[in-house]
Amino acid sequence: MMNQTAAAGSHRQVSGISGLMGRSKSIIFWTILMVYGIFTLYPFFWLIVSAFKTNEDFYSHPFGLPAQWNIANFSRAWETAKLDTAFANSLIVSIGSLILTLFIGALASFILARFQFRLKGAVFAFFVVGMLIPIHSTLVPLFILMKQISLLNTYWALILPYTAFALPTAIFVLSAYLMSFPKEIEEASFIDGTGLWGLFFRIILPMSLPALSTVTILSFLHAWNDFSFALVFISKTSLKTLPLSIANFSDGYQTDYGLTLAAMVLSVLPTIILYLVFQEQVMKGMTAGAVKG
Amino acid sequence: MNAMSSRKFVMFGLAPALLIYGLFVFVPVVWSAYYGFFNWSGFGDKQYIGLANYTEIIHDSTFWHSLKNNIIFVLAAVFGQVPIALALAVILHKNTWMQRFLRSAIFLPMVMSTVVIGMVWQYIYHPQIGILNFLLDAVGLSGWKLNWLSDSGIAIYSLVPPLIWSFVGLYLIIFSSALQNIPGEIHDAAELDGAIGWRRLAYISLPIIWTTVQVAIVLCISGSLKSFDLVYIMTRGGPAHATELLATYMYNSTFTSYRYGYGSAISTMIVLISLVLIGTSQWLTSRKSRS
Repeated sequence: MMNQTAAAGSHRQVSGISGLMGRSKSIIFWTILMVYGIFTLYPFFWLIVSAFKTNEDFYSHPFGLPAQWNIANFSRAWETAKLDTAFANSLIVSIGSLILTLFIGALASFILARFQFRLKGAVFAFFVVGMLIPIHSTLVPLFILMKQISLLNTYWALILPYTAFALPTAIFVLSAYLMSFPKEIEEASFIDGTGLWGLFFRIILPMSLPALSTVTILSFLHAWNDFSFALVFISKTSLKTLPLSIANFSDGYQTDYGLTLAAMVLSVLPTIILYLVFQEQVMKGMTAGAVKG
Repeated sequence: MNAMSSRKFVMFGLAPALLIYGLFVFVPVVWSAYYGFFNWSGFGDKQYIGLANYTEIIHDSTFWHSLKNNIIFVLAAVFGQVPIALALAVILHKNTWMQRFLRSAIFLPMVMSTVVIGMVWQYIYHPQIGILNFLLDAVGLSGWKLNWLSDSGIAIYSLVPPLIWSFVGLYLIIFSSALQNIPGEIHDAAELDGAIGWRRLAYISLPIIWTTVQVAIVLCISGSLKSFDLVYIMTRGGPAHATELLATYMYNSTFTSYRYGYGSAISTMIVLISLVLIGTSQWLTSRKSRS
């Protein structure tokens, strides 16, 4: 009886202390969260709201909402920044390198994951080392190489390096996934009389869709958002990708703030919409790619 | 199927990946080491000058200054991004809509182009029209107003918040999923032993996810070496080389000063330095986890 009340008492005391600690802790937590939340969200809010402002509005109400929502900024930005060309160029190089990465990466991963051959370890190591090479250290020699094989100012000058730099991570993600399949898959398909290519196209590719979607997210975003390769390899206006066009546009229209900001909003809109739709996959894919890469 | 056709398939299937990757990732690294031995303006003849470029680098104060800036970025990432991301991951462990919204918002910069991020922060820091200085005026701290990006003493530190802002989301999600993978029983057992709150984090959760923290630190280091875009957009490495990183210095030496040989030598140094940094960090973190 005595023991029971003592136990109950001490139990109550413990929960009382932890309750108090919990409260002060949650205040600290909420403060951190609020501060970081504002720090995170404000730049987005500012960008979107300011894109609707006139220059005058921009100066006089830096924090407030626009006096009038100036939608014309966007159509004007679309035309003056020639965003249609930039969008088309970005789509071509992103999708081009994506298709190449998926096909070449999946094929190599299939072989590395499911075949035994001499030098397999060496090939793997070769690709792993690539993930340690800082991408920008190749800018100068790649520029020289592109110049020598006269690929400067072509779509290939971007598609090929994007593919090359996406391959190590793609092979890592895909071959890890393919290694988890049971051996019976090949055996069953050989009994059916499907050749190796048939096996690859009809069985391996469809089965690795989850890993392929991770690779798709990583490789597409990398190509779509890349700035440095485009900066060095592309100087022709008609071939400039979105990030490069936006950077150049802002240099030229420095003082028309609403216009520059509207062009910036338009340029990030596609990835933001894709992100909002496929949020979970994008987060998972990018973290998986980063951790494995 | 016979061994012959399978061998052909292996060779044929690996060839495109090896070719593209070898030609556009590997060959450039080897070539830049080679071009580093030449004096070359990008046009005309190359002139072999032996180790002259490399010895010039050793005595080039701008190079060392750029390396120092790179290290500032690495330190900001390791001691800024990682703790902030850990704290946020601990706080944002529930699945309420509010927490999900914040997690998504913090991650959002990861999918945006660095060009736009850099330009937004350029506007924030703008001395006349920037909201940071407006804000300081509004709260009566006009004396704190600075030329955030054009004052060579502080410009490099002004670049740190945008850097953290862009990448914290990645580490948040990495830590969140690591924390969620800790089995519930461990928390129950810890609670019985009186380990709650920060104590539980320090003695139970952190040791369990330590390998994840190690991975994050290595990512921070390799990631910080990649922050060419942000600096190029926001300051071009200026004012007067104050915010130069190794990568922007390499770019400027090559394409602004037309010293292709010297730029190539710097790019070789970048490869070596990053290998050393990543190797050291892996050695340090793995040693800590063993003790």
